[in-house]
Amino acid sequence: MAGLPIDEMRAAPPPASPIVEATLALLHQAVRRKLAAHVAQGGAGFDDFVFAAPGSAEDCAISHADVAAVEAALLASGHRFDWSAAISLAERPEAYKGGTGGADAVVFEHPGAITGAPDAQGRTPCGQGDNVVRHEADITGTARYIRSNERVLAWLAEGVPPGTIAIIDDSGGTLTAPILEQFAGVLCAGGTVRSHLGILSREYGIPCFMNSKLSGIADGDTVCMEASAPPRTTEDYQSGMERTGRVWKLAGEA
Amino acid sequence: METRDLALHGLAIKRHAGPAAVAELTGLDAEQAAGELARAVATGRAVEARGAFTLTPLARVALQASYERLCAALRADAGFAAAYHGFERINPELKQVITDWQTIDLHGERRANDHTDQAWDDKVIDRLSALHERAEAVLAGLARALPRMAIYGRKLEAALDRAEGGAIEWVSDIHRDSYHTVWFELHEDLLRLMGRERVE
Repeated sequence: MAGLPIDEMRAAPPPASPIVEATLALLHQAVRRKLAAHVAQGGAGFDDFVFAAPGSAEDCAISHADVAAVEAALLASGHRFDWSAAISLAERPEAYKGGTGGADAVVFEHPGAITGAPDAQGRTPCGQGDNVVRHEADITGTARYIRSNERVLAWLAEGVPPGTIAIIDDSGGTLTAPILEQFAGVLCAGGTVRSHLGILSREYGIPCFMNSKLSGIADGDTVCMEASAPPRTTEDYQSGMERTGRVWKLAGEA
Repeated sequence: METRDLALHGLAIKRHAGPAAVAELTGLDAEQAAGELARAVATGRAVEARGAFTLTPLARVALQASYERLCAALRADAGFAAAYHGFERINPELKQVITDWQTIDLHGERRANDHTDQAWDDKVIDRLSALHERAEAVLAGLARALPRMAIYGRKLEAALDRAEGGAIEWVSDIHRDSYHTVWFELHEDLLRLMGRERVE
């Protein structure tokens, strides 16, 4: 990977502000990749990279799209910007502190979720997942999407509310790792029963569905996981056999 | 890596840990690690909760975006890359072994393993031993290119020794440096160094 002149200029302390350090690291990464591409295409090095004529074939300048990617990476981390004029918040509530439509409010709507009308007990089917191990009983709890850092950091400090069924995106579980053992249950949209998260939740004895397909569960809904369903096995994955535990939303308790 | 980068990298792998654990993993001395973590909290790069530290989101982003610079030489090292690919080849098997350790076939059905079937457990630990033998060359290759990697080989061997000696909690228990705990941390370390994403 091509180096930048600034890479050798490390005597200065890191930027005081975390947002500046993150932004610069992302921008430098983008420039470094463009320089590497420039050299790979026969460019001599940093000097002709920097001084290429704008718009020429050699021009690898940072573009609007690159900066948009930097911002997207910052937002994807859960960061929200401070605003100085309320118009910012009004125009892009998803990007600023205090905005609506926070990450935890985005509801999974997986096409593969098996849904239907409420059954005799008033339970509405709202999806299914691969059970990592069979438990004696099904469990009921409060569905909480775990996407924002504020939520994770708050629960890290104060403890997770009892009866929380965590709905999470990734099987690496980077965000949730420190509080995983406090969940009553886990619905993970990715992975398989052999994923790291599957291994951890078996070890903790926490009911967990991997590869979950969910629909219509809002943050705060009372849901039931069919933790007593048979687990999906290695052979099931190899043969493509579907074997899932069901998820219901309970009536009247949203 | 410089001290600050290494301390933040260690904390990213441990996820929620104190200075002693970060020091052990990274090879920093305990005082250095404690100083870096305290500085990280003071500058908004980490938060402390319940006596342990975790990186803030922006600190994670900055670190993630810095690996290309921090690890340029390592990524260009053919020996290290070969050892890394060797690790990735063994990794799916390790996950299968741990899954078979945690569950058991009972009356034609997979149930949680309550570890009352000695024969089943022995067989899984034998598989773990065989896997470790193959992993040794990989671990040696990693440590040749990056000396601090040697800690993983030592901890994996210690966990395996204890498990083979009958202390079965050293296979996958989360609250100790069990075989799976150390393996997972090694994987996390390697993914970061090599700029890869976890597949599942």
